[in-house]
Amino acid sequence: AIHLSSTLPPLTPEIEARRLWSFYESATNDLSLSLTEQLRLILAPTLATKLRGDFRTGKRLNIKRIIPYIASQYKRDKIWMRRSIPSKRNYQIMLAVDDSKSMLESGSGQLAFETLALVAKSLSMLEAGDLCVLGFGSEEHVRVAHGFGKPFSSDAGSQVFQHFSYQQTGTNVRKLIADSIALFREARFKRSPGGGNADLWQLELIISDGICEDHETIRRLVRQAQEERIMIVFIIVDAVKGSSILDLTQASFEADPASGSGEMKLKMKRYLEGFPFPYYLVVRDVRELPAVLATALKQWFAEVVDVSS
Amino acid sequence: MDSLSSAAASSQAVQRQVRVQLTSKQEDIALPENTGPILVPTGLRRYALSTLVNNLLGSDKPIPFEFLINGTFLRTSIDEYLTANGISAETTLEVEYVRALIPPLHIASF
Ligand SMILES: [Mg+2]
Repeated sequence: AIHLSSTLPPLTPEIEARRLWSFYESATNDLSLSLTEQLRLILAPTLATKLRGDFRTGKRLNIKRIIPYIASQYKRDKIWMRRSIPSKRNYQIMLAVDDSKSMLESGSGQLAFETLALVAKSLSMLEAGDLCVLGFGSEEHVRVAHGFGKPFSSDAGSQVFQHFSYQQTGTNVRKLIADSIALFREARFKRSPGGGNADLWQLELIISDGICEDHETIRRLVRQAQEERIMIVFIIVDAVKGSSILDLTQASFEADPASGSGEMKLKMKRYLEGFPFPYYLVVRDVRELPAVLATALKQWFAEVVDVSS
Repeated sequence: MDSLSSAAASSQAVQRQVRVQLTSKQEDIALPENTGPILVPTGLRRYALSTLVNNLLGSDKPIPFEFLINGTFLRTSIDEYLTANGISAETTLEVEYVRALIPPLHIASF
């Protein structure tokens, strides 16, 4: 089972977390308004009403109901469709933030806090759906800093910040994806225990410096998530002083097939060439985020609407 | 194909990686100034690091190198060094290299 926030001691004292939250919340206030506006535009068409059955009165006949209607001697008379009021909470969005030490070293920690405050605030103002916030690093499981189904207030913001310290000594992204899939399954089931939740869409935004290992396993898990209709967007916060992840090279020694004797050969490649997430963005400044994120989400929502209509 | 590549992946799954910043005080073997950190498997030892530096220098005839981390010569794998010194793989390691005076005997061990 995955630990809920209540079972784990906070990583940052309450007073400090509250101070951090109010600082970053106000620092990103204008940006979150702008992101909310952009998302509202993206979301509006997806919230357009659809005609649905079955009612005794309505706008348009539901053709599928006519024969049973006649066959039932005009008793089964719910033959009309109406414009149903759209449910706004059709999205479950998970924000997963890297809490490992490398975030501080590269100066990404501040950018991650800004991003967290910005995105959480925007999504809550939008009431686009259900929001969950996770922290991940070297702990056995991800930390649920804010669970699905809870409203996101300023208080919730400070509580979330208590679960981050950027002191974890590992970056287990493989575990993050596996746990995320489990959490999404649970959230989907809670929404509709009987299954058949065709209108529910699940999105995970990962905020990290992007340095992680075991890319092959991660790639497989990302594919599995996709099969379960969980969309994952990886936001690389690239605040590295001096060197960017775009320039990072990766060295590895691989068996040389030409030699036959199992001799190892040095291979050099750009780190991002093998990056296991098909959807990723590189952000160097929090001010870029609203536009970049809006573009990514626009694509995602467009796909979602395409598939569901 | 897929099962083959996943088997290969799981056998490497325990492999940690760390960013190393390679520097040398000797001008004739120094890397270009803009050589940033390089992500390497922590299983590497002196010989593999030496291969890496020679590759970066583009040397025709490989020069054997020794490596210093925080002033001590690396005599183990990077992983063993990190564990012994309580350093996590999350931080960039500053690694200085110098010409090896006596080529080690077990040159083929990684
Ligand atoms: Mg890290």
